[in-house]
Amino acid sequence: MIGDAVERSLRSPQVLIPVGELLSNAAGSRMPDVQPDLLTSEVARRVVAACPTSALKVDKVDDSAGREYLVLNYGDCIACSRCIAAGSGAFRYAERLARCGVGKEGLVRRWDIQSRAEVVQDEPALSQAAEQIRSLVGRALNIRQVDAGSCNGCEAEIVALTNPYYDLERFGIHFVASPKHADMLLVTGPVTRNMAVALKNAYDAVPSPKLVVAVGACGCRGGIFGGSYAVVGPVDAVIPVDGYIPGCPPTPKMLLTGILQVLRCSPSHSRRP
Amino acid sequence: MTETVFNSDAGVSRALELLRSANTRLVSIFGSSDPGSSNDNRARRVHYLIEVNGHEYRMISAPVTGSIPSATEITPAAAWYERELHDQYGIECDGHPDPRPLLFHENWPENVHPMIDDVSHVPWAEGQYHFLRVQGDGVCEVPVGPIHAGIIEPGHFRFSVVGDTVLHLELRHFYTHKGTEKLFENAPVMDGVMIAESVSGDNCFSHAVAYSQAIENALAIPVPPRAQAIRLIGLELERMIAHIADVGALCGDVGFSVPAAYTARIKESLLQASTRFFGTRFWRGMAVPGGVTRDLSAAETGEFGAMVTAAARDFARMARLILHTSSVQNRFESTGILTAEIARQLAVVGPAARASGIRMDVRRDHPSGRYRNLNVDVPQYKYGDVLARARIRIDETAISTGLILETLKDLPAGSILAPVPSSGNAEALSAVESPRGELLYWVRIRDGKIARCHIKSPSFQNWPALPLAMPGNIIADFPLINKSFNLSYSGCDR
Repeated sequence: MIGDAVERSLRSPQVLIPVGELLSNAAGSRMPDVQPDLLTSEVARRVVAACPTSALKVDKVDDSAGREYLVLNYGDCIACSRCIAAGSGAFRYAERLARCGVGKEGLVRRWDIQSRAEVVQDEPALSQAAEQIRSLVGRALNIRQVDAGSCNGCEAEIVALTNPYYDLERFGIHFVASPKHADMLLVTGPVTRNMAVALKNAYDAVPSPKLVVAVGACGCRGGIFGGSYAVVGPVDAVIPVDGYIPGCPPTPKMLLTGILQVLRCSPSHSRRP
Repeated sequence: MTETVFNSDAGVSRALELLRSANTRLVSIFGSSDPGSSNDNRARRVHYLIEVNGHEYRMISAPVTGSIPSATEITPAAAWYERELHDQYGIECDGHPDPRPLLFHENWPENVHPMIDDVSHVPWAEGQYHFLRVQGDGVCEVPVGPIHAGIIEPGHFRFSVVGDTVLHLELRHFYTHKGTEKLFENAPVMDGVMIAESVSGDNCFSHAVAYSQAIENALAIPVPPRAQAIRLIGLELERMIAHIADVGALCGDVGFSVPAAYTARIKESLLQASTRFFGTRFWRGMAVPGGVTRDLSAAETGEFGAMVTAAARDFARMARLILHTSSVQNRFESTGILTAEIARQLAVVGPAARASGIRMDVRRDHPSGRYRNLNVDVPQYKYGDVLARARIRIDETAISTGLILETLKDLPAGSILAPVPSSGNAEALSAVESPRGELLYWVRIRDGKIARCHIKSPSFQNWPALPLAMPGNIIADFPLINKSFNLSYSGCDR
């Protein structure tokens, strides 16, 4: 019987997703993207009113021109798609999203509403810990996942990283059982009052140099639980964070993009497609 | 549901009397602020939700002035509800055998009750939690958690063992308590669904439907039949995905990695089918009060059905292999037995109840929406071991597939979303059979906003049963037994 299963499994078509299709792919995440050519003040005001979190706002610059900017913070976005319904075509589901595994400022995008163009920022420099870890471990990375209060949506997607479609191990990345074996903490959830101490202890147990990645809307900015009496705040309210992966929940492709982005591990060097 | 509202504490005696009588099951006990006494914002009511004769929900509510008598002596299933009632509302239950705080850990000060007190700045407190001490020659304590070895939610397990054999297991949960029921307060009815979706992420669609139905029941919104059919498809798909993943994870826990990897692949294929046809992997944003947000075209119906059929066929093949493998039988059989008697006393629900000889299912006993038009088979096994819980999931995956295909074949025409009034004052209950069992939402709406939302989650109900399936088993079987219940920590802790 087992032999049959192995044989059938070997005969079944490969489902492994090639690296090129994984990176920056945001399909199914319901995260918004902006079509700048359709952006108007009227649309901007409507989507800001529709947004249930503070992910969208209009920034008015106090100069003679009185320029207005639409600001989208992916860290606050819970992927409810209300802006897409209210945006009359200027908002649509993101097919691609590079803002995974970036620093806090990297989560924010700005569009000049008058000139209907995105304000492009410089790429932030790689954190020192990432440089050190890369030189120490090459492409092998050990991750300890910590749920600091999540709804388990992020966990469901992190578990999916190990399935035959994504096969995280092809990049030399493993999940380990102890923080003492880890190079990186992958932390989900708004940090609850009851998990704050355990999270801090887990962080202290990871040998230096170490990386911390905050996952999901709750991990990045607190999400819809931000104001609760039982929540301390986002991950960086308790421990320092090197990279943020937005989404509610981020899809496995976004998680993988984010983890590799934090490491700046070049995917062209990976062993398999 | 029938509700009896009392204006004196005679209501509590009436509820306890009902719980004492035969053919009743405690569904939930929860508190609310008394809407009748506007001059006292600390006035509270207690609500007892009881199922009678297996197919009728009855609610009894009464004002609380001092303390109330505990129902735990009558039905041990009341124990956690009464501890939560005290933590949230400061209602004392006289005669409760274990009045320790439940939701709050040592960091929470005594006498701060978030549903009636100001909790904008709660100071940090210190204290000590006392576990039950098991004493005797050779008894050791093994503490596990809150952070576990795998990619799992946090919770603490305290084992008392002699050698490998577990004598006693004490749970300590609520590490992921997020004050969710309080967050619902003052949320517009259309926004509440986003909170509901984040109660237990892997069952987010069940939560969204249960919440939406409660709103629809309260405001008498007629949900279009097509929307009800699409909801049924989503609920059954969520059950398929959960059960397939659980059976695979059970194989992983006994080191049988081929089915573990193969079921993970089947699960992913269903999530990708959801992405393709509904734009969302876990059906987030699909259910809203009034209906659903995305339709299925005639061409898509056939393709989606074919993908579900293929996944079900692959899984059935894998399930046969699993059940016929002797090393799996050896590990699953007679491991972690939950007896029918204990399951009844703790009012256990869902697959765990059905694996312990209790035939119950909200889809059959309290049907709503499209389930009113369908007959749902309810499988049952009597042994209550890991194998029985695995078999229930395998059987139910096939039943869910049948329900999806039957619904796809006969999708009603028409719209998928009904308008929702932005004002209104009402209360209502809604029940859904989530993959983990009976899930209920009770809402009170005031001026179009949520004044109170209580969530009865199947995990909150079933967690206390897990420690009673452990004694006599070896500690190395705990991950397997725990996985066979597969309860949600976040759903329980809320």
